[in-house]
Amino acid sequence: MKKVNWFVVLAGAAVGLAAVLLTFLGNPANMGFCIACFLRDIAGACGLHSAAPVQYVRPEIIGLVLGAFVMSVAAKEFRAKAGSSPAVRFVLGALVMIGALVFLGCPLRMVLRLAGGDLNALTALLGFTAGIFIGTRFLNKGFSLRRAYDACAAEGTVLTAVLTGLGVLFMLAPALFKMSEKGPGSMHAPVLASFGMALIVGALAQKSRLCMAGGIRDGILFQDFKLLYGFIAIFAVTLAGNLILGSFKLGFHSQPVSHSAHLWNFLGMVIVGWGSVLLGGCPLRQLILAGSGNGDSAVTVFGMMAGAAIAHNFGLAGSADSVNEAGQYVVGGIQTNGQMAVLIALAALLVISLVHLPKKEH
Amino acid sequence: MKEYIATFHTHISALLTSRKLTALSVRAQMMPVPRKLSSSCGTCVRYWAKEPHLAAMDADVEAVYETGADGEYTRLLQND
Repeated sequence: MKKVNWFVVLAGAAVGLAAVLLTFLGNPANMGFCIACFLRDIAGACGLHSAAPVQYVRPEIIGLVLGAFVMSVAAKEFRAKAGSSPAVRFVLGALVMIGALVFLGCPLRMVLRLAGGDLNALTALLGFTAGIFIGTRFLNKGFSLRRAYDACAAEGTVLTAVLTGLGVLFMLAPALFKMSEKGPGSMHAPVLASFGMALIVGALAQKSRLCMAGGIRDGILFQDFKLLYGFIAIFAVTLAGNLILGSFKLGFHSQPVSHSAHLWNFLGMVIVGWGSVLLGGCPLRQLILAGSGNGDSAVTVFGMMAGAAIAHNFGLAGSADSVNEAGQYVVGGIQTNGQMAVLIALAALLVISLVHLPKKEH
Repeated sequence: MKEYIATFHTHISALLTSRKLTALSVRAQMMPVPRKLSSSCGTCVRYWAKEPHLAAMDADVEAVYETGADGEYTRLLQND
């Protein structure tokens, strides 16, 4: 048994607490934090897609990146680096987002959904773990996106600057942006609460290297479970919060922003796990790395936003179980377009994995 | 016998170095980079030898450290 890294546990607990509080303050249920959903909302607010229920400039994303930026600068760990297959990373970011939106959540929301009693997230966890396992097989065969090199400071601050600018514009001229009037995008905690809590979480995530994919990856590759304790801490604190607030509901059906298409939940998260291993971190970790100066992660985040636009413009995202205006229960799931997209994304991951293996020497 | 830690720019580089050290009969183990050494989440190689075997490092090695008795790291090589 390896030593417990208590800082990772603290960071995980902070994420869980912030998620419970943000949901209590207005964020959608089991969505205190969701990197995929929130990047998708920002993409919608900027008009990159026109899915009316999911458009809002989420201050959480801005806070996470700024928190990581401030912490990395304060700890003298900010280091501008770039050049590790940025175009492939953009595509991988898009694929990860498409997979996440099939399931309706990133790995972080998967944990939050589990802690809310949503058993569909259990299927997703199995898929996520399977995807990470596949990714580690390719890592052990020599998969590499090649190394990054030192870059000028401006390259390392692109995402921080863009998101800061977005936040300032949102505060000064909110009418510029599209805002949901109903649906998940219309549900949000007060801006300052969202931003402030995300700032703290971003700083802690930078310090602790919290990563949803990294914990399972390191467990498989090295039998090192330190990062996994953060994952467990998020679950435990959120579960406790949900039980206290009475928002824990165990089951598969009628879960908030969720559907029970098990095969597609599983496969969607296979894409997320596999893609995250190839990228070197989950969507949350990409935000934190980008804030810490990694230009390749910034490109990945832009790829995720493009993926969100593709997912909604082509009807690939999962639709949640819902009740229509007549009061009838409508089962959600994935349309044919989404099912095809999952298969194409898996094929694309396989091709990317194979072409980045070392060439055989003749 | 001293303990060393080599960090790398890529996972494959760590894998190749670990194999090379093992071929030299050096006890080597791959693991996540200690947080004290880096805020990135890459792979490092911890190995135990009489000397640091710097010539065995892959081209994409980032740094090599010697681990002191007090757990402090002394950098022997830096390759940005």
